[in-house]
Amino acid sequence: MSNSITPQSEMRQVLEMFPGAQRAVFRRYHIGGCASCGFQPDETLAGLCLRNNLDVAEVIRHIESSHQQDQEMQIAPAELAALREKGAVRLVDIRTREEFEAVRIEGAVLFSQTLMQEILGRWPREELVVIYDHIGRQSLDAAAYFLGHGFTNVRCLRGGLDAWSVEVDTKLPRYDLEYAT
Amino acid sequence: MNTPEDFQKCVEAAARDPQNLGELANADAVGTAGSAACGDMIRLWIKFKEQSGKKVIDKATFQSFGCETAIAVASLATELIRGKTAEEVLAMSPEQLAPSLGPLPPVKIHCTQLVETALHSALQPQSAAKPVQVSAPAPSPSLVDKFTQPAHPGGQPKIIFKKS
Repeated sequence: MSNSITPQSEMRQVLEMFPGAQRAVFRRYHIGGCASCGFQPDETLAGLCLRNNLDVAEVIRHIESSHQQDQEMQIAPAELAALREKGAVRLVDIRTREEFEAVRIEGAVLFSQTLMQEILGRWPREELVVIYDHIGRQSLDAAAYFLGHGFTNVRCLRGGLDAWSVEVDTKLPRYDLEYAT
Repeated sequence: MNTPEDFQKCVEAAARDPQNLGELANADAVGTAGSAACGDMIRLWIKFKEQSGKKVIDKATFQSFGCETAIAVASLATELIRGKTAEEVLAMSPEQLAPSLGPLPPVKIHCTQLVETALHSALQPQSAAKPVQVSAPAPSPSLVDKFTQPAHPGGQPKIIFKKS
């Protein structure tokens, strides 16, 4: 496999080469967010662009910058702590209810289907919203999702709650997740 | 020709004061399109009346989640289809549903297609209903799947606190 994407690259290959591509594509073009605006793994980039009336060269450039875009979406724990001292920051916790009830950042709300509808329908799109998870993986997808819906100031906590526990609030216990086999 | 700024102003104006918002009691037809998970979901209610021997739309209302453009299109479309028959509405293209917005940017075409799909869902006889393509089916995990579904198929994990 080459190290660049072309119009004939399948979306499977695009996502392998650029893990942030799906987030990047949804943020700007509203494609790939859910089943109604999604794509198939064997669909080519050219086919995807043709179906959505997009300029494939422009889309490739956008995908190739996706790593940088992911970096820009993140907020460091110390930066979030400083912003919280200045004023209210909407904090959304996308972990499981069990994790949320065990340990969380004060003031955070637990994400749910109901909350998602409230966010999409009622929350001001320009206000700062910070999303966090356990170690900062899924929150990138969540932030991209809301940015793709027109929110302009959504960030995700770099390193998740675990990094917050290490860098900001050392009283918050750190934890691991153990799955049944 | 509308510039992107013109388009955005039109959308904001229409979405700021949406017409026909809310559920319509005793509606004759209801149609839904999109996905609540995606946030882009529209539901339309339609009430008919008899006029000059024809069954025409007396009132149409909608509920929408999320996308400002979809709200604007639904608001304009529900005004525009008043007095039209179901056949006339079904013959309309997505672009004809909200002409005052002008040509939509490619990234927003999805929004007019949602409204068109909801209208078809409400107005087309079930036997003649054809799936309206909002986009292709997606067996790939969507972005929303990635943060709303469990990361591990083995059920709820056990939380093990680390020793400090």
